[in-house]
Amino acid sequence: MKKTSFLRNSALTLALAATVSAPALAQTPPNALVMAWNIDAISTFDPAQIAEVVTDEIYRNACESLVDFDVADESNYVPALAESWETSEDGLTMTFHLREGLTFRDGSPATAGDLAWSMQRVVRLGFGNAATLIEYGFTAANIEQTITAPDDRTLVLTLDRPYPASLILGSIAANRVASLLDRKVVEANATGDDLGNAYLATRTECVGPYNLVRWNPGEVVMLQANETAGGSRTPGLDQILIRHVAETGSQRLLIERGDVDVARNLNAEDLADLEQNENIKIETVLKPSMFYLAMNMDHPALNDSRVRLAMRYLIDYQGLGDTVMRGVGVPRASYVQYPAVGALDLEEGQPFSLDLDKARELLTEAGYPDGFTATLLIGSHPYGSPIGQALQETAAQVGITLNMERMSNSQLFSRTRGREFETALLGFGASIPDAHMMSSRMVFNPDNAAEANLGQYPSWRSAYFDEDANARVEEAMMERDPARRIELYHALQRDQMENGPLAFIMQTMDPAALRTTITAYPRNGFRVYYDAVTK
Amino acid sequence: MTDLPVTTDDERRADRRAFVTRALRLIISVAVTLLGLITLTFFIGRLLPLDPVLAILGDNVSQEAYDRMRTQLGLDQPIWVQYWMYLTKALTLDFGMSLTSSRPVVEDIARVFPATIELATVAIFIGTFLGIPAGVLAAMYRGSIFDHMIRLFSLVIYSMPNFWLGLMGLMVFYAGLGWVAGPGRIGFVYEFSVAPGTGFLLIDTALQGNWDAFKNVFSHIILPASLLGFGAMAYISRMTRSFMTEQLSQEYIITARVKGLSWARTVWGHAFRNIAVQLATVVALSYAFLLEGAVLIETVFVWPGFGRYLTTALMAGDMNAVVGCTLVVGIIFVVINLICDLLYRVLDPRTR
Repeated sequence: MKKTSFLRNSALTLALAATVSAPALAQTPPNALVMAWNIDAISTFDPAQIAEVVTDEIYRNACESLVDFDVADESNYVPALAESWETSEDGLTMTFHLREGLTFRDGSPATAGDLAWSMQRVVRLGFGNAATLIEYGFTAANIEQTITAPDDRTLVLTLDRPYPASLILGSIAANRVASLLDRKVVEANATGDDLGNAYLATRTECVGPYNLVRWNPGEVVMLQANETAGGSRTPGLDQILIRHVAETGSQRLLIERGDVDVARNLNAEDLADLEQNENIKIETVLKPSMFYLAMNMDHPALNDSRVRLAMRYLIDYQGLGDTVMRGVGVPRASYVQYPAVGALDLEEGQPFSLDLDKARELLTEAGYPDGFTATLLIGSHPYGSPIGQALQETAAQVGITLNMERMSNSQLFSRTRGREFETALLGFGASIPDAHMMSSRMVFNPDNAAEANLGQYPSWRSAYFDEDANARVEEAMMERDPARRIELYHALQRDQMENGPLAFIMQTMDPAALRTTITAYPRNGFRVYYDAVTK
Repeated sequence: MTDLPVTTDDERRADRRAFVTRALRLIISVAVTLLGLITLTFFIGRLLPLDPVLAILGDNVSQEAYDRMRTQLGLDQPIWVQYWMYLTKALTLDFGMSLTSSRPVVEDIARVFPATIELATVAIFIGTFLGIPAGVLAAMYRGSIFDHMIRLFSLVIYSMPNFWLGLMGLMVFYAGLGWVAGPGRIGFVYEFSVAPGTGFLLIDTALQGNWDAFKNVFSHIILPASLLGFGAMAYISRMTRSFMTEQLSQEYIITARVKGLSWARTVWGHAFRNIAVQLATVVALSYAFLLEGAVLIETVFVWPGFGRYLTTALMAGDMNAVVGCTLVVGIIFVVINLICDLLYRVLDPRTR
């Protein structure tokens, strides 16, 4: 064989080997909703333990609660498992009447007894969600007497104080703590005294419009319509497929090609580009989630409220809103998310702008004319770094040196929960649309002692303790006149914007890119309602 | 043909003894390596300023629930007790529960590993079957346009980040031309129709005779595997070229040519056989790197594999998973080195 012909033949073989066939592309099935979403935060489907938004949305679409948020107005409550409810004259007893015909997956009837057990279970397990019940006087010791089921269709909650009914509905009923678990299945699969915690980590056993049929962590979640549950919601599409796609570039390609119906984690740039695509529409809602600068009052300078106010004037809200936060967040300085009950409106909730002179003036008044030095902790939140850098630059202009330390979120949580920080950028998501939720954590501090270890209270982490503020949070919570209650929360927000240890920067938004084949995609700040999606 | 040398019983016994000694030494060195790896990963995992309890329960958990989980995980025990517990469990491949998936780490790894093996195997096939001929041809035609093209190609592949190449590949071949399927391992419509089997979707779909699904899986794997394969090819072809160049300058090649043996038979029949051992090592090591190093490609292509699992675990502070994965990577390298060692003995009688 000649040298040249051998070379030619070899090259031809290589070229053939490298050829690939062109397959036909699959479109999304007509009876399924296919979403690309970053779902790597899912770690369990046990309603007592779920703590983050992605799992919350999936869970609430699989398992109905006692009552639900109105999709169109999230501060309003509508019947779900319960078809009606009433509060006693003295405000101490709430009675819920369950729908007829509620059934578990195996066809057996679901009763108020199962629901009482499900709610008691949350308190007994004592994970983060237990706080939702403990806060209203339910404890492991009294739970059997305070959450009861006199018959198969009646659930009675006995409260220790006459809280406003709307607050109880928001906090307890609309939360994951009131989903109806199949007691016999869960108990049969319990390990030791874990009340089925390990069993429920990877599956749902409840009454609701969809069944979780598969969860492969970091890969896919599949829900299958459940027509026989008998709750308030009837599924439209048969299947909900959620594929884990972390990369926004990949999400964008998938939606452009029509391989997914919805892309949920696009950045500002992708969103702007996709707006030009006639097959895709962009829809955005405000999330009940806030991003803020925490200032630890153990730091001598930050202990002065004038210094903390100065820090608020060092945030370039407008600049950030036009750049890194465009399409993903709106500047907001109030600690209560909009449009929760009791929240200041968008204008009043954001009275600050970058003002170096004002900041200098306040620092001088407080005795820090040359500024001070502090560390600034930043986790892996996508906007933490650019916002931190912007703050570092403006602070430097008035003499404040912020030394940035970047770390993983779990390390950041560990440091801030242990009060081992000076300043930090953090996020906080509210689970109910009521100003009380944020007030009870951001302002109220039950015990400021270091050894109290109240890491779940951002107020405690910042060593912020104000007897008067505590009393005002209590007063607002217990106020039964709705108008007066809102006024009290407004006043608290104005006060916190002047004195609080947490400088709120933005409320995040939830943009979604939808193929135009999706004809209805109902949602509010808390979740998408899969059963009502149409295509 | 020469007569085989005659071996005496004593020599045979000495050979056996030497073999047993060597085998024992090998086993001990593998055991020590793994023990070292377990120890190192355990202490790194425990000493990192990450709180596994917060990784599980989140930021807003009450102190009682926090303390209970700490006890449950054994974190309230002295570190030496924790180490001993960990070591004894690791011996039975029990790395504990993944803090993020709420399942045993071993189960997670068993789930994600086939995806990576499948990807890496297709990639190494592409890399080897393109890389070796390309390297040999480049050595045969040193200085030709072909040689320069191969080197340029290797350089380009080396200098471009996988991540960027992946996105470009997707934009051109998936979004633009529509020749291949997009991110993911299989189309959504097949998710329900392929029954779980070996975990290798190409094999599962073929065994089930589901050829539509097989084609779909193939069209998903071909692009990421090619990109990874080209990376391996760049390395393999460069090494092949250098080994072959060295061989081709040997006297026996000239003798063979003078005796009238064709160029192709000289190269493939004689020179190639002499570099086979070195090439086996190169291919085996490339494979090991593919198995643990496909992180970025897995991320871009939404490939539910080992690399992505490890990265997610790291980001979430899921130390049980991280330590388990690190051990698996360690075991892969130990095993592949062992295979190389054995291959040497099979392919090159002088090393026996």
